[in-house]
Amino acid sequence: MHNTGLSTNQMMRQVIYALVLGVSASYVFFGWGVVIQILLGTISALAVETVFVAMRGRQVLASISDGSAALTGILLAISIPAIAPWWVVVVGVAFAIIFGKQLYGGLGNNPFNPAMLGYAFLLISYPLQMTTWPVDFLSFSQVVDEVFNLVNFDGISGATRLDDVKTSLSLGSDIATLQVRSISQAWINIGFLVGGIYLLARKIIFWHIPVAVLSGILMMALLISVFDSQQHLPVQNHLILGGTMLGAFFIATDPVSASTTPKGRLIYGFLMGVLIVIIRAYGGYPDGIAFAVLLMNMMVPLIDQYTQPKVFGRS
Amino acid sequence: MIESIVIFSSLALILGLVLGYAAIRFKVKGNPLVDQIDAILPQTQCGQCDFPGCRPYAEALAKGEAQINQCPPGGQEGADALAELLGVETLVLNEEHGETKPDHVVYVDEKLCIGCTLCIQACPVDAFVGASKVMTTVIEKECTGCDLCIPVCPVDCIYIREIKPTLSTFIPNIPGEVHA
Amino acid sequence: MPDQTFSGGVVIANPYPVAQVKIIQAPLPNQVILPLQQRIGAEAKPCVKVGDRVLTGQMIAQTQDQFCVPIHASISGTVKAIDKQIIPHKSGLKSTCIRIESDGQDEWVETKGCGSDFLHCDRQTLIDYVQRSGIVGLGGAGFPSHTKLNKATDCHTLIINGTECEPGVMCDDALMQHHPREVIRGVEILLHITGAKRAIIAIEDDKQEAYQSLLMFNHSDLISLVQLPTKYTSGAEKLLIKALLDIEIPSGGFAADKGILCQNVSSTKAIFDAVIDQRPLVSRIVTITGNALTPINVEARLGTSFEQIISLTDVNQQAHDYRMGGMMMGIDIENTQMPICKITNCIFVNNKKPKPPTKECIRCNTCNTVCPIGLLPQQIYWHAKGENIEKCMDYNLLDCIECACCSYVCPSHIDLVGYFSFAKALHKKQATDQFKTDIARDRFEFREYRLERNKQERAQMMAEKKQALKDKMAKDKEQGQVQKDKIAQAMARVNKTKEKNA
Repeated sequence: MHNTGLSTNQMMRQVIYALVLGVSASYVFFGWGVVIQILLGTISALAVETVFVAMRGRQVLASISDGSAALTGILLAISIPAIAPWWVVVVGVAFAIIFGKQLYGGLGNNPFNPAMLGYAFLLISYPLQMTTWPVDFLSFSQVVDEVFNLVNFDGISGATRLDDVKTSLSLGSDIATLQVRSISQAWINIGFLVGGIYLLARKIIFWHIPVAVLSGILMMALLISVFDSQQHLPVQNHLILGGTMLGAFFIATDPVSASTTPKGRLIYGFLMGVLIVIIRAYGGYPDGIAFAVLLMNMMVPLIDQYTQPKVFGRS
Repeated sequence: MIESIVIFSSLALILGLVLGYAAIRFKVKGNPLVDQIDAILPQTQCGQCDFPGCRPYAEALAKGEAQINQCPPGGQEGADALAELLGVETLVLNEEHGETKPDHVVYVDEKLCIGCTLCIQACPVDAFVGASKVMTTVIEKECTGCDLCIPVCPVDCIYIREIKPTLSTFIPNIPGEVHA
Repeated sequence: MPDQTFSGGVVIANPYPVAQVKIIQAPLPNQVILPLQQRIGAEAKPCVKVGDRVLTGQMIAQTQDQFCVPIHASISGTVKAIDKQIIPHKSGLKSTCIRIESDGQDEWVETKGCGSDFLHCDRQTLIDYVQRSGIVGLGGAGFPSHTKLNKATDCHTLIINGTECEPGVMCDDALMQHHPREVIRGVEILLHITGAKRAIIAIEDDKQEAYQSLLMFNHSDLISLVQLPTKYTSGAEKLLIKALLDIEIPSGGFAADKGILCQNVSSTKAIFDAVIDQRPLVSRIVTITGNALTPINVEARLGTSFEQIISLTDVNQQAHDYRMGGMMMGIDIENTQMPICKITNCIFVNNKKPKPPTKECIRCNTCNTVCPIGLLPQQIYWHAKGENIEKCMDYNLLDCIECACCSYVCPSHIDLVGYFSFAKALHKKQATDQFKTDIARDRFEFREYRLERNKQERAQMMAEKKQALKDKMAKDKEQGQVQKDKIAQAMARVNKTKEKNA
C-alpha cells in the first residue's frame, strides 16, 4: 500500500514548474536568451542521457521520463550567460550528465551536483564565454544570431552586475556611490524565491537547506562588512545579486548530493553560504555558488557521519 | 634556497623520528594477517585445499604460497572475501579442488555400523560419538560437512543430509531491481 | 503530563471506514488446520494420533519449553492428518499441522477456572491458567502471555493497548465496543496478578464508541482510560510507553525491567476467559477489509481457512490481492486455503492492481523523518543492497520494528522493509555461521592438541617402561649376584665342615 504523496517523477516535474517565475523574470529583462538556452540544455540533456542509459543496458524511457536529466539541463542553462554560444550549454550539459551522473551509476548515485559540475567545468574551460552577459533586453532574432554565431553584435554584452560592482570596488570606487541599479537581478532572485517557497509549501524540499544557506550568506557578509567593509558589497546585496536564490532553493537542495540528516543539512547549508560569500569577496570568480556547492558536496559523507539523529532507546 | 633545504631536511628528520618511534611503540605482536585470513575460512577442516586444515592454508596464503580460490566450502563469496582482504584480484573457484556443495551434515545408518572407529579417527572436529565394536553416531551440531568420514567407512553407512531452510533460518529474497 | 505522542510515525486515514463496527459469528468450519510451530520455541509435539476423536478445547500438542503454550483443538471431531501444510508465513514454507475434521457437535471439554472469585486465587495459579489456555499476544506479536506475566515481578504500571493503530484493522475496536465488561474484568485480573498500582487503557481518539463503552463499565479507581492522538505506530509497545509515561525503554531492554507490563486488549479478554472459565484460546476476532468487499469483523475458530472466512463477506468476483495482517505490517499471500492462527488479526482483500514501478533512492530523507525509532532507513537500505551487514549494524539495523512507515512515504516506492528483513535474516545467518565456525576451529585445535598429547604420553610411557625394564634387569643381576654370594658362602661353610670332619 502506498501513500498518495508525490512520487519521485512528480517531484522533479514540480521543481521544473517552480522555476518558471524566475525564468520569466529573466526573460522580461534580458529577452529570449534564457529560453533558447533552456531549450538547448533540455534537448542535449535528454539526448546524452538516452545514449548513456542505453549503453549501460538500462531502461531508457523510465530514465528520461523522471525529469532529472531535464532538470539538470534547465538549471545549467539558467546559470550560464543567456547569450553564450550554443555549444557552451551543449558541452556543459554533456559533461554534467556523463561525468556528474551516468558514470557514477545514474540517478541517486552521484556525489556531486551535476549541474554545478558542468558549470565549474565550463567556467574553467571557457572563461570568456562564461563571463559575457547581456546588459539589455534582446529580441528573439538577436539572440538566435548571437548564440548560433551568425552575427556578432557589439555593445550588447558585458559583465554581470555582481561582477561589475566587484570590479568597481577593486578599482577604488566608494561603496556609497554605487547604486544598486540592477533591478533586473533583484527581480530574478525574487522570482526564484517565490518558486522556492512554493516548493517548501508542497513539501518537495525541506526548509533546512535554504534557510541555512541564506543564514550563512548573511552571517558571513555581516562579518565582512564589519571587518572589511570598504572593499566589499553591503550585506543585503548578497541576497539579491547573482544566483543566490536559485542556488539556495534549487541547486543546494538537490537531495542526491546534499547532506541527508536534518542537523547535517543545516551545517551543509550554512557552510555553503559562508563559502559563497568568501569566494565572492576574496576569490577570483564573480559568483561563488558552483564551487561552494562542489566543495560542500565533498564534505557530505563526513557531515552525515557525525550528525546522525538520536535513535530511540539508545543514549 | 638555503632556507628551503633546511626546512625540508628538518621536516624529514622529525617525521622520520616520529615514524620510527611509532613503528616500535605500536608494533603489533604476532601475525594478525593469518588470523584475519583464518577468520574468513569456513573451518570445515576438510583438506580439499591440499593443506591439512584451515590454519595451514591461512598461513600459506599469508606467505603467498597458495591461491585464494582453493577452498570449495567457502564458495565464491569466500574467495572474493579473501581477495578483498589481501588486496588482490578475485579468482573464480578452482574446480580441481572440488565443487561447492550446499550446506549439509552427515549421519550414520546405525543398522549397518560395525564399530570400526575409522570415522571417529578421520573426523577433524571430533563430531562422532562411539568406540571400538560399539555403534557410532554423528553429533549433528558439530558436523561441518567436510565429508572426510565418508570414504573411510568400510560398509558405506555414512550419508549426506542437506540443511534445508526452516521458518527461523529462512532468508527472504532481496526486493527486485530498480528500473533504469 | 507527557504530551502523549512520539516523534515520527505517519497519520493515515482509515482507507475502508465503516459506519458501525459489528462482529459476526462465523459458522463452525468443516475442518481446521492447526500449525504446531508457534512464534517462538521448538515445534510442539502432538499428544493425539490420526484417528483420535478430540473435543473442543482439548490439548492436542505441547512442548517441554517453559516459554511455550500448548495447542488446543478449536472444534470437536476426528484428527484426520498430522502432516506438512502451508502456513501463513512470508517464507511460504510448509510446517507440520494437525488437521481435524469437524463432527458438527462442537462438544467442549470440561473446564473449571476460578470463577468470579479470582481474587482469592494466588498469582502463580492464575499464570498457570493463562499458560494452559494457550494465551499469546493477540495484537500480532504472538508472544506467550504467561512468560510476560512471570517476568513482571516488580510491576507498578499496567498498560492495556487498545490503540489499534494500524489503519483498517478494527478487531480490537469491535471487542471493546461489544465486550467491555470482560475487558475491564480482564484488566482487574491482570492488576491482581501483577500487583500493579494502576492500569492505563490507551485508545486512539478515532475510536470514540469504544472509549465511551469502556468508560461506562469501568468502576475501578485503579483503571484509567487515556485517549492518544491517532497516529500509526502509537501501538508499538515501547513507543506507547514513551507516549503515556515518558519513559524510554533502552534498546534491547524490556518493559518489565522498568516495572511496566503491556498487554493487548484482545489478549486481556482472552486472559479473562482463561482465568474465569479456564477456557482455552480456540477462536478470535478477525477483520476482513479491502476495496473488494464491505469490511466486517468475524469471530472465527482458529484453523479456519481464509477462504471460508472471506466467503462470509460480500466479496466481488474479480481477481484479488490478499494480505494477512495490516496494510503496513502484513504479508502478501497467494493461497487462501491457509488457516488463520492466533495472530491473524486482519485479512485484506483488494482488487488486483499492479505495483507502482520502483525508482532509485534520491536521498530525500523523508524516510528518516517518519521513522519512529529515529533510524536512517536510507543508509540501511544502501548497505543492505550491498550486503554489507556490518555497516547495517552500525546504523542500528536490529532496532528497526519493521513498521513500514518508511516504505509508505518513499517517493521512489522502494520496498525498504523488504531490504531490512533480508538484512536481518542475513545477519542472523552470519552470526550463527560465525559461532559455528569458531566452535569448529576450537574443536579442531583441541583435536590436534589431543593427538599430540596422546603421542607424547605414549612416548613417555614407553620410555618409562624401558627404564623400568633396565632397572629390573639391573636389580635381577644384583639379586643374582647376592644369590651367588650366598651359595658361595654356603659352599664355603660346607667345605669347611667337610674338612673339619675329615
